Amino acid sequence: MDILKLLFEPYIFIPLVFPGLVAAFLLLLIIIWLERKIAAKVQLRYGPLYVFKPLGGVIQTIADLLRYLFQEPIVPREADKLAFLMTPVFLFGLAYLPVVAVPISPTYYAFRSDVSLLIVMALTTLAPIFTVLMGWSSNNKFSLIGGVREGYLVISYEIPMFLSAISMAILYKSLDLVEIAEAQKGLWGVILNPLAAINMLLLMYMSTSKFPFEIPEAESEIVAGPYTEYSGIIYGLVMGASYVKLYVLSLVYSILFLGGWNPLPINDPMVAGAMLFVKAFLLVALGAFLRAVYPRFRIDQAISIGWKIAFPLSLISVVISLLLIMGGVSLVVK
Amino acid sequence: MSLSRTVRHAKAILTGFKYLFAGPRLTLMYPDDIQELPEGYRGMIEYDWDSCIKCSLCAMVCPADAMKMYVSKEESEREGKVVKRPGINYTRCIFCGFCVDICPTDSLRFTKVHDVAYYTYEEQIYPPAEFSKGVPRPLYLREPRKVRAVLDERRGIRYEPARS
Repeated sequence: MDILKLLFEPYIFIPLVFPGLVAAFLLLLIIIWLERKIAAKVQLRYGPLYVFKPLGGVIQTIADLLRYLFQEPIVPREADKLAFLMTPVFLFGLAYLPVVAVPISPTYYAFRSDVSLLIVMALTTLAPIFTVLMGWSSNNKFSLIGGVREGYLVISYEIPMFLSAISMAILYKSLDLVEIAEAQKGLWGVILNPLAAINMLLLMYMSTSKFPFEIPEAESEIVAGPYTEYSGIIYGLVMGASYVKLYVLSLVYSILFLGGWNPLPINDPMVAGAMLFVKAFLLVALGAFLRAVYPRFRIDQAISIGWKIAFPLSLISVVISLLLIMGGVSLVVK
Repeated sequence: MSLSRTVRHAKAILTGFKYLFAGPRLTLMYPDDIQELPEGYRGMIEYDWDSCIKCSLCAMVCPADAMKMYVSKEESEREGKVVKRPGINYTRCIFCGFCVDICPTDSLRFTKVHDVAYYTYEEQIYPPAEFSKGVPRPLYLREPRKVRAVLDERRGIRYEPARS
């Protein structure tokens, strides 16, 4: 009984169950299936269907996961073994670590900090280091090229993404995610500063190499980029990492721009969490949908989008926030 | 210029959404539905042992070297001379139909069977004795529905049950 009670303590429940590990895992299973399904529908096909046909093959991903589990993980002889084997673990861990600072209700959070937005954004920037390391440690030219591409992308999306997030912090006069979400009881951030919203959405997909920016993995060019040499369950980990990162960023995005848990019918942590989860899920699903629409950008196109379009836009969105504040939009909760 | 590009992006995404919610599906649900094949379909080849005159034209014309003449042992012993009969190797066959066309007695004929799978390479080579036993029947879990492909102005390809 005590153990069950302990499980529902926020500092255990948030990282481990919701919106942490268990929820991320469930989302992973559903979203990979959904991604294939959406791409299939847009391309006039059916997608995965025969594994549990009544629900359209929804447990296909579980079948794939089992296959990964029983597949032999091969470590190349020339690879740097420690780095090669540890990076997927760090990558996955760091991809979902920022979730600890994400509140799921006005009263339910693992810990409340004045700078939780900064903590989340800072933790999300750690994962790409391991992607680059992965590309280096595999000792494979495709992995190396993929890792370098990831490095190029990181420097072009990180600054505008931070500026877009910070512009919202300026608008709400707070870096605390709880306060930011509470400030959106009326108007959502996406209405107040649509430029920052669009910009951050774009950069979010860029940072998790979703489709128009699926440059590090570019299947038709460099096999699987940094993941080329991975097999078995460690490949499962690295593949899941980018989805989990997108999920975490979607949670933050929902809090920044989509009102977080508002509108909240009853003040229950689970209802608020479900509200937040649905918003994040829709954002991840939108990312999965883009796969069916877009081809891949070239690396120079993506970088020029980062520096020539997203960066100025993020500066403009900071200015918009400042103007709104000076114009006297009082949103901040007292 | 940047604005027109944004508009084009929006259009692309809208088109994607249109197909996501309203688009048709072109998939033929194969093991449940099978397509009714037209006359003259070039599937696996069947061989008539009795009408064959062993002229070896089929082996000669075969561009892929799939058709080969095999020495038929019993017949050679019985007739006191070398008798050869054709056998086929489906790993090489390109289903061009030259052998069927050239056969003077129509001993080689096309069937409509094409959906057969093999476990080994050797199974796909048919010496004359096996070749004359006819083509394998594909095994279906349930009796499949025969469908016909219909060209549709709006949807592209549509499959409807065949009238038989």
